Parts: sequence; C-alpha cells; structure tokens
Amino acid sequence: MPGLSMNARSRALAVAATLASAALIGAAYGGAASCSAASAHLAGTLSLSETGHLHLTSHHSFTLNEQGSASGTISGTIYIHLNIVSTNRVTAEVNIYPRGGSLTGYATASYRPSGAVATFAGTMTVARGSGRYAGAHGAGLSFTGTIQRTNDAVTVHVSGRIST
Amino acid sequence: MTLRFATLATLAALLALGGAPSGALAVSERATLDASFSPDRLATPTTIAFGFHLATGEGAAPPPLTAVDLRMPAGMNYTTTTLGLAICQPAALLASGLAGCSPNSRLGYGSAYVEVPFGTGSGHEIPEIQALSGPSPNGNLTVLFYANGLYPVSAQLAFSGEVLPATGRFGSQLAIAVPLVASVPGGPDVSIVSVTSTIGPRHLTYYRHVHGRLVPFKPRGVSVPERCPPGGFPFAADFTFQDGSRTSATTTVPCPAQRR
Repeated sequence: MPGLSMNARSRALAVAATLASAALIGAAYGGAASCSAASAHLAGTLSLSETGHLHLTSHHSFTLNEQGSASGTISGTIYIHLNIVSTNRVTAEVNIYPRGGSLTGYATASYRPSGAVATFAGTMTVARGSGRYAGAHGAGLSFTGTIQRTNDAVTVHVSGRIST
Repeated sequence: MTLRFATLATLAALLALGGAPSGALAVSERATLDASFSPDRLATPTTIAFGFHLATGEGAAPPPLTAVDLRMPAGMNYTTTTLGLAICQPAALLASGLAGCSPNSRLGYGSAYVEVPFGTGSGHEIPEIQALSGPSPNGNLTVLFYANGLYPVSAQLAFSGEVLPATGRFGSQLAIAVPLVASVPGGPDVSIVSVTSTIGPRHLTYYRHVHGRLVPFKPRGVSVPERCPPGGFPFAADFTFQDGSRTSATTTVPCPAQRR
C-alpha cells in the first residue's frame, strides 16, 4: 500500500480483515457467529454441505490417493486418501483447501462394491483446521460417496456441522 | 431324464439305503484343498485357482455338501481389481445361461465332479462351472456360481457365496451355501466329490465402449499380498454336509521366488 505509514497500514489491514470476516460470517454463518478481526478466524458453528469430484493420482498398497475440487458451503481443492481396510470397510483422510485455510477430517465407512460402482457410507470427524478454519472440529458428519471402479474416480459428499 | 433311468435310479438308491451298514452315519469325511496364484508374484494382480476333493474314509461318496467356507490369506488386495464390473442376475442366468449375463460379470470358471449315490462308479463331471459377480443384498462382494449339469443329473444351478472379512492369518472368506440337488425326483441328493474354480482374469475378456465401439480388455485381478508370511500364503476351507457332519482342509501357496 504505497503512501501509508506502518501504523496506517496496520489499521487498514485490520479494517479490511474485519470487513472480510463480517462478509464471510454473513455468507457462511447467517450472522450467528462472532469473529476475531486480528486473525480473520471464524468462531461459531458452520453447516457444511460439500460435494467433491476427484480423480486418482496414485495408489499405494490399499490406499487410493485422489485429488479434485470441492464445492458447496466452501469450495476449493480436495484431497482424499481412501484406504480400503477390508472387503467391506474403508477409512479416509480428507483435506479441503478453501481460500484462506484448510480443513482436515478422518472418516470411516462401509464399502460396498457392486458392479462398476462401489459405494461408501459412514461418518467423518473434522480434526483440525488452519487459517480461517483454525480450531475447526466436529464429529458425526455424514460421509458418503462412490468410486467408479474402471478408473477409481471418486465422488464424495460431506455434510454436517462443525465448530470453528 | 427318462422314466426308466429314474426308476432304476430310485431302486438303486433304495437298495443302497437298505444295504447300508448301521454305522453309516459315522463315516468320516476327508477333504483336501489346493490353491495357487497365476502369476505368482508379490503385489501383482493374479488369478486365484482353488480346488477341493472330498471323500470318506470308507471310500464311498461323501454326503451331499451344503456349505463351503473358503478362507484366503490376509493382504489380498481388492483395491484396484476391475473384476465384476457388471452384475449378473441369477434369474437371467438360469433362464439363458451365460448368455443372460454380461461378459463383464464373469469372475472365473471351473468344473466339478459329482457322484450320484447309487453305488460306486457313478461319478460324472460337470464340465462347466462359471463364477460371476452377483447381486449383493448384504453389501458384500457376491460370487455367483453357475453349474450346468447335463448328465446324469440335468440341472442348471445358480448359487452364491459372499466375500466377508476374516481375521488373523486370513483376510477374507468366501462363504458359499451349496444347494442340494436331487439325483432323481424324490431321490437322494447328489454328492459333490471335487470342484476346481478360478477367480481372476485368466481366460476372461471384458468389453468397454470406446467412441461407440466395443473394445475388449483384460480385467485386473485381485493382487497377491505385498509380503509373504513365513510358510507361505495360507488357505483353509470348512465343509458342511447335509447330515450335519463337518470337515476342513488347509493348504499354502509357497512364497514366490525372490526376484534378483
């Protein structure tokens, strides 16, 4: 910001952060949460409803490594490490990178291969977040999806409430 | 099946029952089990071949088989197999045979040897057993077996087995409920003496649409575990018979030679 002193620049950043936080709260929280202008960290609860479309980037042993895009309440790049632990169970690590932060969750689900599509359904725990989502946590989120068995493309749906 | 054959068969069965020693129910069944991987390389998609042979200590045909529980080694990797991309419906299979189901539902093939319990020397081969991917009402992988018997028992059978998780040295088990097949209407049931089958891509061709054309491809099999346990890969099978008796068998697939 050319022409502004350090103090003026700090004040300007703080105001900008406050405005950004207010806008985010209005969009994602319906005005029900508070904010911290210093970190632009959202505090309160967030109702997530995400859909991710991912493609296989690699597989190692029993794990499919997938990357794609998530859209819904938040949008960004999504990574899933889907570990097929038995003939009918999967576990997953889910990382979503929306603008300004990240969310990390762990899921367990039943796994049902049936023809060209395998489905999974279970629950996810949000263990941590960073940036705008620092301190995010939540449990019992719905975690469902499909795997196209011909190319291991994954579609995943995550929904539920998290605290931030 | 002609009436004459049925009458003779029934008569033979009655004679056999009448002539059976009083201790016949105490016969002991014996089972042997074979298994192999092809190719036999660690962490490589493979075709699993397995077979079992049943007999009694007295040399007679075993009682009719009602269930087989085949346990497979831990570490078999189902993650990237493309076997069973289509589902075969049992009704379609029984109505039209293999033609009633997509080639993409085929999992393997084999044969069986059965004995009609009318004395000895009455064994016959069922040359065609097909393993297909079946509907899974419980959400588990389901293997549908189709047996096309022509003589001496004309019967087309479809029966299924579920792939379930297992524990310890075993990672999965294929639990098969075997239906009873009457040798003649109202007569004794057929005894299964031996079965061989494969689960894997060997001799299978799948098809996919590419730009409007059907293109053949080889499905990817279940992978051999990445590590071989001491003593080899264990397989085990439990057999349950119509009379309630049980027997079991084990075998191992030797560890593949180390590649240098």
